[in-house]
Amino acid sequence: MFGLNKIIPVEPNINFLGLRRNFLIFSILAILISIGLLSIKGLNLGIDFKGGTLIEVSTKNTSIGELREILSSSYSDVSLQEFGNENIILIRLQNKSNQESIETVNSVKNLIQDKVVEFRRSEFVGPTISSELLFRGFQAVSFALIAILIYIWLRFEWQFGFGAVVALTHDVLFTLGLLSILNVEFSLATIAAILTIAGYSINDTVVIFDRVRENLRKYKKLELVDLFNLSVNNTLSRTIMTSLTTLLALVSLFIFGGEVIRPFALTMIIGVIIGTYSSVFIAVPTLLIFKFRPQEEDD
Amino acid sequence: MKNYPIWKSFTVVSLVLLGIIFAIPSIIYDENSENWFLKNKINLGLDLQGGSYLLLEVQLDVLYKEELDNFVDSVRLISRDQAVKIEKIDIQENEVVVFFGNKEKMKDIRDSFFQMYRGVTLQINNNKLSIKLNDEYRKIIQDSAIKQSLEIVRKRIDESGTKEPLIQRSGKKRILLQLPGVKDPERIKDLLGKTAKLTFHIVDNDNVSALQNNLAPFGKIIVPDMYDENTNYLLDKRAVVGGENLVDAKGSFDQTEGHAVSFRFDTEGAQKFGKVTTNNIGKNLAVVLDGVVITAPRISSAITGGSGIITGNFNAQEASDLAVLLRAGALPAPLEIVEERSVGAGLGADSIAAGQIAAIIGMVLVCIFMILIYGTFGALANVSLIVNLFIIISLLGTIGATLTLPGIAGIVLTIGMAVDANVLIFERIKEESLKQTKVFQIVKNGFDRAMSTILDANITTLIAAVLLFAFGSGPIRGFSITLSLGVMASMFTALMLTNFLVYMYLSFANKKELKL
Repeated sequence: MFGLNKIIPVEPNINFLGLRRNFLIFSILAILISIGLLSIKGLNLGIDFKGGTLIEVSTKNTSIGELREILSSSYSDVSLQEFGNENIILIRLQNKSNQESIETVNSVKNLIQDKVVEFRRSEFVGPTISSELLFRGFQAVSFALIAILIYIWLRFEWQFGFGAVVALTHDVLFTLGLLSILNVEFSLATIAAILTIAGYSINDTVVIFDRVRENLRKYKKLELVDLFNLSVNNTLSRTIMTSLTTLLALVSLFIFGGEVIRPFALTMIIGVIIGTYSSVFIAVPTLLIFKFRPQEEDD
Repeated sequence: MKNYPIWKSFTVVSLVLLGIIFAIPSIIYDENSENWFLKNKINLGLDLQGGSYLLLEVQLDVLYKEELDNFVDSVRLISRDQAVKIEKIDIQENEVVVFFGNKEKMKDIRDSFFQMYRGVTLQINNNKLSIKLNDEYRKIIQDSAIKQSLEIVRKRIDESGTKEPLIQRSGKKRILLQLPGVKDPERIKDLLGKTAKLTFHIVDNDNVSALQNNLAPFGKIIVPDMYDENTNYLLDKRAVVGGENLVDAKGSFDQTEGHAVSFRFDTEGAQKFGKVTTNNIGKNLAVVLDGVVITAPRISSAITGGSGIITGNFNAQEASDLAVLLRAGALPAPLEIVEERSVGAGLGADSIAAGQIAAIIGMVLVCIFMILIYGTFGALANVSLIVNLFIIISLLGTIGATLTLPGIAGIVLTIGMAVDANVLIFERIKEESLKQTKVFQIVKNGFDRAMSTILDANITTLIAAVLLFAFGSGPIRGFSITLSLGVMASMFTALMLTNFLVYMYLSFANKKELKL
C-alpha cells in the first residue's frame, strides 16, 4: 500500500498549546481590528441588504467608459463594473422608492439598448424588503449559533460549549472583518456562507473536543496542557486533511464556478481557514480556563 | 468474506444502485420527456433556467383610505335623510370624525351608519361622531383584497401566455410570482402595474365654475385626461356601469379610429348602458381607467346592443394589453413591485456550465489528493464520493427539489466535506493499526470509534443547514437543501459503502497486515 500520509507523522508531537499566548494576542488584535473596521468602514452591502437596482449586460462595440457616460447624464449614483470579462458589465443604481426603481430598470434598458447584446439579469430590491432580508439573515445566524450551542451542551459538558462559542464568535467576527477589508460584496449568499462556516468550524472543534473528552477518561494523570496538546496532535492529520479537501473544492468553485458565485466561494475559503485555525488555537486553549480534573474526581 | 453479513452487503449494494438509477433522469435531462421515469429530474431554479421572480405588495393603505372616503359619502347621505347639517368632516389616518350642527339625532345617525358598515368602531361625543377602522375591519379588507388580487393576477398572467407560473400569497400582504422562461418581465410588470378599474361616467358640461375652481360639488368628481394633463372633466361620481359588467374585450382595428378595444357587456351591463345612453343623448360619456379619462365621446344615439369600442391613442400592443386587463378584471388595490429578480437564459446556461466545471474539477482534485494520501483506501473513499454525488442528484430529482446556483455551490462544497467522514475513519484505522495486528479487528475498531465523532460533526452542519432553510429565501434554500442532502448522503456512503468496500478489498486482497 502506498500513500503520502507519512508526511504528517503518525504520532505528531507539536506543542500547540505552548504557543497559545502568541495566538491569543494575534486573535484578540484581529477581532479588535475587525470590530473597528465593521463599525467605521462597514461591510460592502449588496442590493439584497441595501436595496437598489442591479443590471448585468453583455455588450458589443462599447466600453465601460462609454456606458458610464450615457448613464451618468441621467443618474448621479450609478456605478459600473466589469464582471468576469470586459464585455460583461454590471450596472448598479441606488433608488429611493420602489416606484422609481421599477421605472429605472426600464429607462436604463432603453438608454443603452443599442450597445447591449443581452440583458443577462436584472435585480431590484425595495427598501422594505432589504431591511427584512437583513433582519432575517441576522435571525438565521443567531438561531443557528444558539442551536449548535445547545447541541454541544447536550453532547458535552458545558465548558466545551463555552469553548465552542468563543471560537465561533471569533470566526464570524474575523471573517466579517476580512470581508470588510477585502471589500467583498455582502449578500444573501454571504449569510449562507457564514452559517456554513459556523457549521464547519463547529464540526472541526467537535472532532478535537471529542478526542479531549476521550483522553480525559483515558489519561487520568496527564497534565491538562499536555492532554490538550495530545488531543490536538491525535486529530491533527484529520484536521489538515479535511480542511485541504474542502479548500480544494472551494478553490475550484472560486476559479471555475463563475462570477456570481465568487464572493460566496471567497467567503467560504476565508472562513474555512479561520475556522480550522480557531479550533486548534482558540477553542482548545479556552478549555484551560476550566479545571476539569477536580470535577472528574468528584464524579 | 469474513464477518460481513449478507443482508448488509445486499442493503448497501441496492441503495447504491437505486442512487445511481434515479440520478439518470437528471443526468440525461430531457426537458420535454413524457416518460414517467425520466420526469423525475431535478427542477432548475429561475437563476439557472432563466426567468423572473417578482414580489408584489398590495397597497392596502389605498384601500383603507378608499373605505374612509366611502364612510364620508355615506355619512353625508344619512345626514341628508335625517336633515342634520354637517359642520365639519375631519379625515385622519385611521378614522373619520364628523361634527354635526346639532346633537339630537346622533344616535339615529350612528345606528343607520352601523347598518351599512357592521364591525366599525363608532363613538359619539357631544355633536361629534368618530368612525374608526379597527383592526378586525382592516383585516377583513386585507384578506379579501389579497384573495381578489391573487385571482386577478393569476388571470392576467394566464392571459399573457406564461407557461407554468407559480403564483402564491407570501406573508400578510404580498404576492409572490415565479415566471420561468419569461424573457421580458417589463410586459408582465406593465400588466400588473395597472389596477385596470374601468368605469363609465356621464360628463357634466354645465357646471363650468366647478371646473375652473377645481372644486367638485357633492356627487361629482374632477378627473384629468389621459393624454393632456391640462384638460379636466367634471363627472358624475356614480358610475353608469363598470368593468365588472364586461364579459369580453379584445383589441380591434377601426379604419377611422385606429387601434381600439371592443367590448361586450353582460345582460345587466347592457341594460344599464342602454338606459343611460337613451336618457342622455347629446351628453358626453367618459371612459375612465384608473383615475384618468381615456376618451369622452358624445352620445349620439342610444346604444342598446350591449357592445361598443373604446378608442384612444393606442398602438396595437397597448390595445391588446388593455383588452387583457379588462377581461381579467380590476385589482382591488394597486400592486407595488417590491422585489424583482430576472435572469436571462444565457446567464442561467453559463451558470450551469460553470457549476459543472467547478464540480468536476473539485471532484478530480479531491480524488487525486485522497489517493496520494491514503493510496488504495483513498481510491475506495473516492468510489464513495462519486456514489455520494449520484445519491445527491437522485434525491434532488425524486423529491422534486429545485436546484439553484447556490445549490450547485452546496454540491461542490459537499464534495470537499464529504470525504471528512472517510478521513475520520481512516485516521482511526491508522491509530488502531499501531496497537494491534489483526486486520479486521483494526478496521472494525476504526469504524466504531469514528462513528460518534462523525455523527457529532455532521449533526452540527445539519443544524446550520436546517436553520438556513427555515430563514432563508429562494436560492439560499437551494443551498441548504443540497448541503443537507450532501451531509446525510456522506454519512451513509462513509459508514456503509466505504465500510463495505474496505471489507471487500481486505477479503479479496487477503491482507495480512494493514499499514495506512
